[in-house]
Amino acid sequence: MSSAMKIHVHHVTRVEGHGNIVVNASNGKVEKVEWQVPEAPRFFEAMVRGHSYQDIQTIVSRICGICSITHSLAATKAVENALGIEVSEQADAVRILMHYSEQLQSHVLHIGYLAAPDFFGVPSVVPLAAKAGEAVKTVIRLHRLANEWSDLIAGRTTHPVTLTPGGLTRIPTEQQFRDLQQRLKDCVKDLNAVVEVVLSVAGVIPRFERPTEYVSLRQDNPATYTFYHGQIASTDCDGTVPINDWKTVANEYVCDQSTSKWCKWHRDAYAVGALARFNNNADLLSPMAKEVAKRFGLKKGCTNPFMNTVAQLVEVGHVVETSIRMIDGLLTKGLKQEKVKAKPKRAGKASGCVEAPRGILFHEYEFDKKGRCLSADICIPTGQNHANIQKDFEALVPQILHEGQDAVRHKLEMLVRSYDPCISCSTHALEVTFV
Amino acid sequence: MRRPIVVLGLGNPLMGDEGVGVALVQDLARRAADYPAADFVDAGTGGLSVLHQMDGRTKAILVDCALMGEAPGTIRRFTPDQVASIKSLSGLSGHEGDLVRIVAMARALGQCPNEVVFLGIEPEVVAPGRTLSDGVAGRWPEYMRQILAELTCT
Repeated sequence: MSSAMKIHVHHVTRVEGHGNIVVNASNGKVEKVEWQVPEAPRFFEAMVRGHSYQDIQTIVSRICGICSITHSLAATKAVENALGIEVSEQADAVRILMHYSEQLQSHVLHIGYLAAPDFFGVPSVVPLAAKAGEAVKTVIRLHRLANEWSDLIAGRTTHPVTLTPGGLTRIPTEQQFRDLQQRLKDCVKDLNAVVEVVLSVAGVIPRFERPTEYVSLRQDNPATYTFYHGQIASTDCDGTVPINDWKTVANEYVCDQSTSKWCKWHRDAYAVGALARFNNNADLLSPMAKEVAKRFGLKKGCTNPFMNTVAQLVEVGHVVETSIRMIDGLLTKGLKQEKVKAKPKRAGKASGCVEAPRGILFHEYEFDKKGRCLSADICIPTGQNHANIQKDFEALVPQILHEGQDAVRHKLEMLVRSYDPCISCSTHALEVTFV
Repeated sequence: MRRPIVVLGLGNPLMGDEGVGVALVQDLARRAADYPAADFVDAGTGGLSVLHQMDGRTKAILVDCALMGEAPGTIRRFTPDQVASIKSLSGLSGHEGDLVRIVAMARALGQCPNEVVFLGIEPEVVAPGRTLSDGVAGRWPEYMRQILAELTCT
């Protein structure tokens, strides 16, 4: 077939922020394949300079309207690490529950509203509401549960207000925890319904394998499928890297085709996100999550990036089941009213790390002895995935070129969406000085 | 039991006038006791989460910064049927949620209040910053009057 192909998808829809797809090909030969990120930098790292350690998490939560709890938690952990502030066991557990609410919120949003239209072959969730109304209503119910769960623990659906260095300003009552636990038990029926719906259309998930490095947190003691504690792990090496050394993992560099920095570690690219967590920690999933993985045939070592959405579905089962158990643990010990009086014990510089729904997230801050922020550095998961998306493009396009322009464009859009990217969070494209 | 009316303030308070909706509902929430039929909700940049807040209500009032081609500071009342979205990124991402289409979706699912009202405020400055412009802040009493006038169901 002799033909020229020019694809320029300006601003992929249904991803967070802006990204462009460029493919030029002629006579069956690929001339150019690029994943471009033209999103403007947002300078959050400059914005926090001079602010008190008590205000950092509030400011950086605004980096994202989807994973605001995650950004707040990473920042709070970094502040505490830098200034020697301790957190009680109870506050730690409640924070993890807060974090789980956002995993559910974000994953359901991605699976139900952003990826499902691809599975059903419709352009967005609006026509999907007409085509599969009951399924959409189930997704909305789960999303609402996740939002109200965040409301309860974080004080607000997005942009948490209860989080503070040293703990939490308020925790739910015993009755509120019991009610939440009951709602989580009740939602299992809806979760199973979503699994059935996705299984019924799973045949449209492209079969594409490209071995790469998968990077995520790993927690060994106690061994946990972690989103919150632990060290940095990779499928390319044994052992772990301490959080404060994250720059030896991310190795950020500037790339001409993107305003966001790119990352690489043992290879020319690595992937983060649900599939990375699964590939590093799958044996630690809850029974329900393992069952979901089994039904989709998802196994540790999977190298199909399109399966990230399925890994998210697996994690949805995990966070719900684990939260039910954690609430039991909290209530058995008895809730204590704790007053937080955190003061800086020293000047310092340190990092905080958590798993955002879309992958591992690093925050680093330096403070003077009064707790005033001197500098900040944030490395977000989507930034870490950009190079990997580019490498996927380079491998996938030659395999599917014969399918024609529309199919190539659609599969590349699907591929980008499968990473659940949050491009607008790619915060620090350039370092500039104003003269 | 949900209150029949919800006032949703949308926006990002770190982007100047973009956060005017949030600032207005925060102000109103301080006097919420005077309005027992209404909830005042800081909806932030929650996008599709607006769906959950509208479900089960009789009336939703959405207060947001809006690019309408008016003079900065102007407040305009309109309903979903009186406007068409011209937002270029309208693929309904969680982040780039298009309010007009979210309302359309709520209607398609039978989860939309009978009455939906937008109160759009034309911004003067949308840029990083934690304060509102004088052109917007100076018209606060007018905005409050207009929102409070909506707190009845037709």
